[in-house]
Amino acid sequence: MRKVLITDSALVTGLGDDLTTTWRRLLAGDSAIRAVENFDTGNYVSSVAALINDLPVTDGQSRLYPLLERLLSQLSPLPPLTSMPTRLLTATTKGAIDLLEQQCRDQAEFSQLLTTLPGAMTQWLNQRLALNDRAQNINAACASSTLAIARGAAMIAHGQAEVVLVVCADLVSEFVFSGFSALQALSPGASRPFDAERCGLTLGEGAAAVVLMSEQAAEQHQRPCQAQLCGWGAANDANHITAPARDGCGLIQAVNQALTRAEIDADRVDAISAHGTGTVYNDMMELTAFESLFAGRNLSISSVKGAFGHTLGAAGGIETVLAIPTLNDRLVPPTCGFVTAEQFADGQVSSQPQPFSGDMLLSTNSGFGGVNAALLIKRGDNG
Amino acid sequence: MDSSQFNARISGFGWVSSSGFGCGHSSDFNGFAAGELPQVQRQDLFDKPDRRFGRMDSFSRLGLAAITLALRDAGLEAWQQKRPVALLAETTTGCLQTDCDYYATVLPDQGALASPQLFAYTLSNTFLGEAALRFGLTGNCQVINSCDATALSVIHSALDLLQWQESEAVAVGFCDLTDYGALAAPGALFMVVEPTEQDAQGLILNRDNDGQLRLNDQPIDELNQLLMLLSHQYGSA
Repeated sequence: MRKVLITDSALVTGLGDDLTTTWRRLLAGDSAIRAVENFDTGNYVSSVAALINDLPVTDGQSRLYPLLERLLSQLSPLPPLTSMPTRLLTATTKGAIDLLEQQCRDQAEFSQLLTTLPGAMTQWLNQRLALNDRAQNINAACASSTLAIARGAAMIAHGQAEVVLVVCADLVSEFVFSGFSALQALSPGASRPFDAERCGLTLGEGAAAVVLMSEQAAEQHQRPCQAQLCGWGAANDANHITAPARDGCGLIQAVNQALTRAEIDADRVDAISAHGTGTVYNDMMELTAFESLFAGRNLSISSVKGAFGHTLGAAGGIETVLAIPTLNDRLVPPTCGFVTAEQFADGQVSSQPQPFSGDMLLSTNSGFGGVNAALLIKRGDNG
Repeated sequence: MDSSQFNARISGFGWVSSSGFGCGHSSDFNGFAAGELPQVQRQDLFDKPDRRFGRMDSFSRLGLAAITLALRDAGLEAWQQKRPVALLAETTTGCLQTDCDYYATVLPDQGALASPQLFAYTLSNTFLGEAALRFGLTGNCQVINSCDATALSVIHSALDLLQWQESEAVAVGFCDLTDYGALAAPGALFMVVEPTEQDAQGLILNRDNDGQLRLNDQPIDELNQLLMLLSHQYGSA
C-alpha cells in the first residue's frame, strides 16, 4: 500500500474559525457551549449547544453554505488538474437541515426539498471547486466523516487516486435538537464526557476539510506532510439501532482492522482521541473497548465534545484535523466538563492537557445504526 | 479509473418495484417503472413476529425488504455467528419523507410531542443498521449519495471493498421511495457480491484495468444497462 499524507486541513468549530484558534482555546479549557437562541428550547431537556458565531442567516438560504465558504477560505489552492484529478468525498448527516425546516414550515412542494438533501452539499462543493468529479457523500451517522476519510485514504493507498479532498459539515437545528431531546439523549447542561456523572450529549455544529495525497503527489506539488494516515477500519455492532454494543465489539473490530492495515501492534498507539459523546452508554462502551485493546497501558484519552459539542457527521473530520496539533505538540487536549472519572477512565482522561510521548494517535467514532470507525494518524513532518 | 482487473459474482439479488417484489433467481425481475410500490408486510419476509418491522418508516422497510430478499437469494439469510459482510446503499432522496413526517411532530407544540420513534429513522443509514442486526452483518455500513450520472459509483465502491480485502462480501444496492433516484422509479434493488475467479459460472461482474464494468462479458456503462441485462436474464417481459 502507498503512504497517505494529510497535506492541508481546515476547521470551523464553535471555539473558532480556524485550527489555530480552536486549538488554543481547547487547550485553555474554553467551552463554546451556550444558550441556544435560534429556536425556542422550552420543551426540550436542554437549552444549550455549541454554535458557530456570526454565520449569516438569510431568508430562504441555509447557514451551511456560509459555513463551508468559511472553511474553504482556509485551504490552499488544490493542485492543478493532472491525469488523475482531485477526487471529492463529503460527509454530512443532514446537510442543509435548516432549509428543510423552513420549507416544511412553508409547506413547500416535495420537489423543492431536494436542495436540502445531503447530496446537495456534495454537488455544491463539486461545482464551487470546479472538480467535476463523481463525488460521493458518505452518510453513516456520527461516523460519516471518519468513513469518508477512510475511503479517501484507501483510494490513495491502492492507487485509485492521487489527491482526495474530504469535506464534512453539520449544523445545529431544532430538527436534530428535538430528536435527541425526545430520545432523552441530551445533557441538560454542557456534556461531560467520561465523567461518572455524565448524563447525555450536547450538540454542536462545525465543519472540517482535509486534503489527502499520495507521497508522490505531495512531492510533485511541494505540499507538506501535516500527518500520515496509517490505518483505518470500519465495523458494525450488529446489535442495536440507537445504542452501542456494551462490550464494544464493533469498535474493537474497527480498531483491530486499523492496526492490521497500519501493520502495527496495539502497543504502538500513544494516545486516543475518543468519540466521547457524554452519553452513559457510548462512553462506557468506548472505555470497555479501549480496556480490552490496551489493557494496562494507561493511555491518555480525550474527547473534545465537552468543549464544542457533538458535531454529528462532521465529528470525525474535525477530530482528524485536531489530531495534527495533538501530535505536533504531543499534547492530548483537555476533556472539558470532566471532573470525576468513570470506571476505566481514571488516570487516562483529564480536564487538563496531557503530555504524551510518541507519534501515533488513534481516533474513533461510533454512531446510530451500530457503525464504528477508527483511524490511526501518525505525526507529520512539521512536528 | 486506475484499478486492476477484478471479478465478483452476484450471488443473489432482491428487489421491490411497482410490479412487486422477489428474489432474483427465483422470480421475474422486469426492472423498475413508475407506479405505487407494494406494501411489503412482515409475513412476506419473516416467518417469526418482528415488532420492529411494523414500526419502521417506509424507506427503511423498502430497503430492508430488498436486502432480505438479496441475502435469501444468496443463501446468506440464516446465520449463527456474525459475519463480515458490508452494506452499501445508494440513495438520492433517502429518508426525506420521514424527515418531513418527523418534523410534522415537532411543529405543532414546539417540540413537546416530537416522536423519538420517527427521529431514529431520520438518518438514511438506519435501515442498514436494521439489516446488520437482523442478519449479523459486521462489515462497513454506509449510505452513499453520489454525483455520478452513470449511477454505478456505489457498485465500484462495493468492488473496491472486495478488491482491497476490506470485506468478504457486500450487499450493495439502490433504494429510493421517489423517482429522483438512480433507478428513476420508486423501488429498491440489492445485490450480494463476492470475489470470484474469472472462469466462474453465474452472474459475473468484471472490472478491467480501465475501470470498465462488464456483466457476463456485456459492457455496463450505466445502471440502466445492468438492470436491462438482469431483467433480460431473469424477467418474463
